Amino acid sequence: MRKRLYNVGAILKGLSITFGFMFRKRPTIEYPSVKKQHAPRFHGLHELRRYGDGKERCIGCELCSSACPANAITVIGAENAPDDRKSPGERHAARYEIDELRCIFCGMCEEACPTDAIVLTPRFEMADYRRGSFIYAKDRLLVPPDAGVGEAPDERPGGIPGDLGRVAEIKSTTDVARGFSATHRGEILKTQRRGLAG
Amino acid sequence: MADNAVNVTLTIDGVPVTVPKGTLLVEAAKTVKQEIPVYCYHPKLGPAGLCRVCLVDIEGMPKLQIACNTPAADGMVVHTRNDKVDAGRAMILELLLVNHPLDCPICDKGGECDLQDYAMAYGRGSSDLVDPKTRKPKGVDLGPTIVLDEERCVVCQRCVRFDDIIADERQLVLKDRGVRDIIATSTGDPYRHNFTGNVTELCPVGALTSKTYRFKSRPWDLQRTQTTCTQCAVGCQMFSDVRYGVPLRTMSVEHDAISDGWLCDRGRYNIGFYDSAERIVQPLYRRNGTFVQIGWDDAFTLWGKALREALRARGPEAVGAIGGGRLTNEEAYLLQHLTRAVGSANLDWRAGLARQATPGAKGGTLAALDRAQAIVTIGEPLRERAPVLWLRILKAVRRGARLIAAATPAEAAAQCAGLAPIALVWDGVDPALGAAYDGAFAGFAEVATFIASEQGNARGAEAMGMLPAFGPGYAAVAPGRGTRAMLEDARAGRLRVLSILGANPAAYAPNAAAEALDALEFTVVSELFMTETAARATLVLPARGPLEKSGTTLNLTGDLLPLHASLQAPEGTLADLEMLIGLAQQLDVELPSAEDLERAVIAHAAKLPTGFGLGDARFDDGPSVAPPPHVHRTIFDGAGTAAHDPRLTSLRALEVGV
Repeated sequence: MRKRLYNVGAILKGLSITFGFMFRKRPTIEYPSVKKQHAPRFHGLHELRRYGDGKERCIGCELCSSACPANAITVIGAENAPDDRKSPGERHAARYEIDELRCIFCGMCEEACPTDAIVLTPRFEMADYRRGSFIYAKDRLLVPPDAGVGEAPDERPGGIPGDLGRVAEIKSTTDVARGFSATHRGEILKTQRRGLAG
Repeated sequence: MADNAVNVTLTIDGVPVTVPKGTLLVEAAKTVKQEIPVYCYHPKLGPAGLCRVCLVDIEGMPKLQIACNTPAADGMVVHTRNDKVDAGRAMILELLLVNHPLDCPICDKGGECDLQDYAMAYGRGSSDLVDPKTRKPKGVDLGPTIVLDEERCVVCQRCVRFDDIIADERQLVLKDRGVRDIIATSTGDPYRHNFTGNVTELCPVGALTSKTYRFKSRPWDLQRTQTTCTQCAVGCQMFSDVRYGVPLRTMSVEHDAISDGWLCDRGRYNIGFYDSAERIVQPLYRRNGTFVQIGWDDAFTLWGKALREALRARGPEAVGAIGGGRLTNEEAYLLQHLTRAVGSANLDWRAGLARQATPGAKGGTLAALDRAQAIVTIGEPLRERAPVLWLRILKAVRRGARLIAAATPAEAAAQCAGLAPIALVWDGVDPALGAAYDGAFAGFAEVATFIASEQGNARGAEAMGMLPAFGPGYAAVAPGRGTRAMLEDARAGRLRVLSILGANPAAYAPNAAAEALDALEFTVVSELFMTETAARATLVLPARGPLEKSGTTLNLTGDLLPLHASLQAPEGTLADLEMLIGLAQQLDVELPSAEDLERAVIAHAAKLPTGFGLGDARFDDGPSVAPPPHVHRTIFDGAGTAAHDPRLTSLRALEVGV
C-alpha cells in the first residue's frame, strides 16, 4: 500500500514536467503558414545581383565555380556586345547555372566573387518534384532589373566595384521584408576582406 | 670536359656551376634549378633588358644586375634570392603594376599569367600608388586573330621581337613612348600573317589574346591532350584544350626537334569545324539520285556487296582505293592490306597536287636543316605550304645559311658551289623538277632532301604502302594504277568500285574527276563534310577528324608521331579504322591484330627508303594539272575544313576574299 502511494507521487512529479511545457513558449511553428526567421548569415538559395542601373554584377569570371567544393556551379563567359551590355566591362556570363542539389551551401562562391554578384539569401524553400528543376539558371538566379543595388563601376574594368563588401548589407534584395536588417553580415565581410588586404 | 678556354665556373646560390662561356646568368641558373623571373627574356628571342624583373645580386657589384643580359663569368658569386634581390624585384613588380588594370577575373590569361605568378611569388602585395591609373584602350582589334588590351601590356616587346626575329614579318612595333607606349602595326593595317597566334603564347601577360578563345573559358577548365597537328606535313606537336567537348584552343608544345615551339595559324585556329552543323553524322546512300540516311550495318553490307560483285564479275582490276593524308598510319596500312588482300594493286594516297612525299635516299632530318649552309627551295613558297618548316629555315638563315630560290637547277647548284651541307626543300609537285634538282645536286657531298607535302600524313601513307608501285616499307611491288590512272579507268569503264577515304580528288580536277566519279558503278567516300567528291559518291561514310581519333602519323622527315584523341566524336561517325574493320568482315579478309598492326606500323615507319631520290619515275603518274583557284593556295583553307569553321571566317575573308 505504502509502496503504491510512493509511485503516485513519482507519476505526478513526472507529469508536472510534461504539463509544465504546456505553459511555455512553443518551439515549433505552424510551417508553412508561419515561417522561421533565419539568421542573417543563413546560407540559403543563391541570388545573382545587379547594379543599381540594372546591369548584371556577374562578369563571368568563373571564380565561384572554381571555389565551389561541390562542383555545383557552371559558368560560361562571353564578350559583351557593344550595343547590348549585360555587365560593366568586357565580359559577362552567357550561362550561369547552379545545381542546388549538389550545392552544400558553404558560401565559398560568395567569398570568391570579385563583384559581390552571387550571394546566398536566407531563402530555403526549394522543394520540387523533378531533379532537373534544381538546376537554377540565370532566369531564376538573377534578381529583377529594378532590384539592383549599388553603383556600377564605369564601363571599362571588369574588375572591382567601389562598393565591395557593402552590398551585403542589403542582403537579399527580393526578400528584404524578412525582419533582419542584415547589416551584420556586411560588416563581417568587410572586416574579413580588410584583413585579407592588410 | 672542363675546358677553361670555353667554360666558366661560377657560384649560384652557393652551388658551383660550370657553363660554356657566354652563357647568360638566367640560363646558368636553370642548371641549378633556380628559377629567375623573366618577362622580356625568352630563350628563343634572347635578352632585351626591358622588364628588369630578373634582378640578381652579384658579389662585388654595387647594384643588382639583370640575369637575362649578364653573361656568366669565372669566379662570379651570384645570389638569386636574398633580401636585396627580393626588395628589388618587389619594387620592379610594383612599377610594372602601376598602370596594370588588375582585371584578372575577366582576363583570358588569368590563371596562367606570369605577371600573376610573379606578383604572388615576389610582389609586395600592396602598392604605394595613390594617383589614378593611366587608362588605355581595351579590346583593341589588332587583326583577324588577335585582340590587344593595351592596359595590361608590360612592354616586354616579346611580340615585336617575334615578328622581327622569328617570323621575319616586322609588322608589330612599339608605338609612342613612356606611359603612352602601345603595341601596334607599323602601317596601321590589321596584324596578319601565318604565325600571329604565337604572340598570344609569348605574351607573358594578358595583353595579346586570341579572338577565337576570347572569354570562352579559364585555363583550369580545359582538358589538355598532347597530339600532333595534321594540317601539313611538319607534324608540329600541340596541346588540344577542350572544354565540354568543344575544342577551344590549341597551344604549342616546346618540341625543339620538330616545331621548335611554334604553331602556324592554320594549325592553331582551324579547330572550329568539329562541331559544325554541316558535318555528316550518318551514312548516306544515293538512291534514285538523292541521298538517304542509312545505318552502318547497311552501309557495310552495301560496300562489301559492291566490292564482291565487282571482283567476281570483272576481277581485281575493277576495284581501287584512294586514301588521303587524313588517314593515320594504321588506317593507311589496313586500307592497303585490305585492297591488296583482294588482289588489287589500285592504290594511291595522292589526290591533290603532290606527287611524292618521301624524299628517299638522301632524306634529311630537321636537325640536318639546322646545320645546312645553303637551303634551296624548289616549287611553291613554303610559308603557305609548311609554315613552321619555313620558320626553321628562317632560323637557319639567321644563323648564316644561304636561302636559294633559283630559276633552274643548274643555277641553284652553281650558287651552292663550295657550300656544305646543303638542304633541298621540294614541294613534291612536279616530278621532273624534283628529278632535275636531284641530278644537279648529285655531285655534292652533303645533301639532305626534304619534301614539304601539302597533306598531313602523306609520308605515312607512302611508308604504309599506299602507292601503286610500293608496298609497305617502300617494298617494290608489281605496279597497279594510281589516282589519275584509276580516274581514267573509271571514265573508260574498266574501274567499277572506288573507295576514297579522306581525299577530295574532285577539288583539284573538277571536270575530269567528276566525269570519272559519275562513271563509276559504286563510289564510297569517307568524309567529315559533303565535299565535291562526296557529293558524287554512291555511299558517303561519316568520318572522324584528327582530334577525334588516336593513331600515329609520319611527318616529312619520317618521325613517328602520336595522335591522341581529345574530342568525343559525334554519334554516328566512325574512324576510318573502324570502317575498314567493318569492310574486312564483309569481305572475309583477315586483318592483323592490334598488336601486329602496331608492330607493322613501327617497323615500316622506321624503314628508310634508299632505292629512289626526288622525282623518281615510279612516283610519276602524269603531268601536274593546275588546280582551280583557292584550292590549298592559302593558309586558311586548311584541308577543306576551314570552309566549315565559323571561327575562321574572318581570317579566310582576308586571305581569299570569300
